[in-house]
Amino acid sequence: MLAFDPSSVFLSTYLLAQEEAEAVAEGGFDIVTLLNQALNGVGIVGILLLTGLGLAITFGVMRIINLAHGEFIMLGAYVTFVFQDAFGMDLLMTIPFAFLVTAIIGAVVELTIIRRLYGNPLETLLATWGLSIVLQGVVKLIFTAQLKYVKAPPYLSGNLPLLSDDAGGALISISYYRMFIIAVALALLGLTMYLFYKTSWGRQIRAVTQNRDMAKCLGVNTKLVDMGTFAYGCGLAGVAGAVISALKTVAPPMGQDYLVDAWMVVVTGGVDKLIGVLAGSLLIGEANAVIAFILNDPTARVIVLAAVIVLIRYRPEGLFTIQKRS
Amino acid sequence: MAKPHVSDTNLNRRKFIQYGSLAVGSTIVAACTGGGSGPSESADLGEDPIKVGVMYSTTGTIAIVEKSLQDATFLAIEQINTGTGPWEANGAGIAGKKIEKVVVNPDSNWDLYNQMSKRLIDEDQVVCVLGCYTSASRKSVLPVFEEKDAILYYPVYYEGNECSSNVFYTGAAPNQQITDSIPYCYENFGPKGFFIGSDYIYPKESNRIAKAELEKAGGTVVGDEYAALGTTEFITIINKIKAAKPDFVLSNLVGDSIPAFYRQFKDAGITSDDIPIMAYPTTEEEIQAMGPEYSTGHYTSFNYFQTVDTPENKAFVEQFKAMFGKGRVTNGVMEAAYLQTFFMAQAMKKILEEGGELTPGNIREATRGQEFDAPQGKVKIDPDNYHTYLYSRIGKWKEDGQAEIVFATDAAVKPIAWSQTLYKGRVCEHTTPDDRSDPTKETGKDLEPVFL
Repeated sequence: MLAFDPSSVFLSTYLLAQEEAEAVAEGGFDIVTLLNQALNGVGIVGILLLTGLGLAITFGVMRIINLAHGEFIMLGAYVTFVFQDAFGMDLLMTIPFAFLVTAIIGAVVELTIIRRLYGNPLETLLATWGLSIVLQGVVKLIFTAQLKYVKAPPYLSGNLPLLSDDAGGALISISYYRMFIIAVALALLGLTMYLFYKTSWGRQIRAVTQNRDMAKCLGVNTKLVDMGTFAYGCGLAGVAGAVISALKTVAPPMGQDYLVDAWMVVVTGGVDKLIGVLAGSLLIGEANAVIAFILNDPTARVIVLAAVIVLIRYRPEGLFTIQKRS
Repeated sequence: MAKPHVSDTNLNRRKFIQYGSLAVGSTIVAACTGGGSGPSESADLGEDPIKVGVMYSTTGTIAIVEKSLQDATFLAIEQINTGTGPWEANGAGIAGKKIEKVVVNPDSNWDLYNQMSKRLIDEDQVVCVLGCYTSASRKSVLPVFEEKDAILYYPVYYEGNECSSNVFYTGAAPNQQITDSIPYCYENFGPKGFFIGSDYIYPKESNRIAKAELEKAGGTVVGDEYAALGTTEFITIINKIKAAKPDFVLSNLVGDSIPAFYRQFKDAGITSDDIPIMAYPTTEEEIQAMGPEYSTGHYTSFNYFQTVDTPENKAFVEQFKAMFGKGRVTNGVMEAAYLQTFFMAQAMKKILEEGGELTPGNIREATRGQEFDAPQGKVKIDPDNYHTYLYSRIGKWKEDGQAEIVFATDAAVKPIAWSQTLYKGRVCEHTTPDDRSDPTKETGKDLEPVFL
């Protein structure tokens, strides 16, 4: 649905843009640049969706205030780096490994830390915060603080021109890599929704989060479900880290950058419905892109953050939450 | 964060204090222990070593750069203590005394720089301090050094407009980096520049000076954009660059923003032939992290590149790699951190050989006018303004991640602390001996470039 959205905009404004394109003056506020920016917003949305999805599981479904989410993204990026560096693997090939390794680390963390803190949100918050410091420290000890190089797959370089001027120069275009990120994000969202709403594992997860004791009575192995779900959420964060590693910077503190964004996305979208994460990232990504274009990046961040705070003041459950009795 | 279900938590005050203090404690421990593992910590330092503070962050966002400055400083101290490298002729130590480094890690937190510099001076009683990278951290410690009359050696290119009796600036002043690179851009790329940078003092001031230089040359600035420190999403800024159609981009982005920007710049379909990037903070190390395929054809203006052809540089690169690994590269800030350690050692040697005490006043007078055959060539501390005579060079990045030097001055350029385009004729002249009075002087005249 998302992927078609911008192209329909193009169709309706195609003629207008074509005329405008010919009369493109130097600089200024022309429609082509604005359309480009809207498309750029889609690129930002892809990254937000990808990095927010794991948190939608660990916080949205499991209610764990997971401040180490960014570090799992960082771990995924480092797994990609290691596999590329040691075995010369293509970035795409390393994605399953990024998922597996971060999921296993997530399972260990659940087993040793999170499991003992269910029902104590504040202590979970402190524990995961500590965990994030530890994970950063460990990665820095092993790999040093230097930035790491991850090679982007060559076949994903280049741009898809959506609108060209007479000379054949691309006026509106989106890079293949950004499209790849959006595709991965949407595919993972689809897969996760399928897992949660169509499989018995998903039903068990939802049963456990809604009424743990009752689920236990009915024979659900709640401990295994908890561990599996947390590991899956961490694995998704790992995939996000692997995919963005070639476009961003790989360094021990990189996760912090995504943590706040991921939280904004999940909180805005609403924590009960997985589709909320798509809505949240669309809203925040596009708002960010448009405001940043009109004003500038730091201001856009301030405005969007302030807007999210206002939003959760009036709708603490987020935008996409069904009203239910407590 | 919105958390509607916290009301049933069984958290009580005692537990909060327990966990809270645990968390705070662990952060402090993490911040304090990060840097204490120098390579020669266990070495025998003999009797009565000279205590020198080394203050670089090895954790936090700016650790990426500051860790390499620390490495270069450690290499220099190691060479001084063992009498190897450039120190070979002087024997081990400084007039027989070894350097004991007191390492602190301010965790990329500007306030901690302030606190830790106080600690170094008051509690550890170091003779002087080598450290800081960002202008924000230098501004944070400056009052401490001035109030306690202690000496800081600061190894970083910076925006200028500062002149202190307590700081030796061994990185480039504006006239050693901006003054040559902007006319170069104007002549080779065109009149329209788009300026970007990280959102703090140095990039903003540096871009302000560059803007004045470009306008003086006859060009215009068609855009001016800043991103928060640590930002890795540049799609909006790149779109604005596309829309403004500049002839070149001037980048003052720092830290982990650099690789992300270059990658997304190329990913957005802009080549170095379309719009070349001229940068100051982009060095060999960031190029290595982003992959040379993203930087090929772009430019950096700096005093030093790993490809500088001097015997001193060959030795420096070799020794650095031997100590820290073959995969490492050297860059301009590291070279400055390295050479300033020798300025310090030479000054101390002079004092000790004359039978003096290592007081801040003596170190200040002894450091003024020191010369050193650095990897970049012969450099000298300007006795008037405590900045350093440095070479001005422009490098074009090649496919192997190293720079082809396309512009270089024949000798080190005399530093001018104040941008002459913004403050015409304003110079800085400390008295001899320095009585720490205000050194700023208005000459009102155009200053001719002076070479060493």
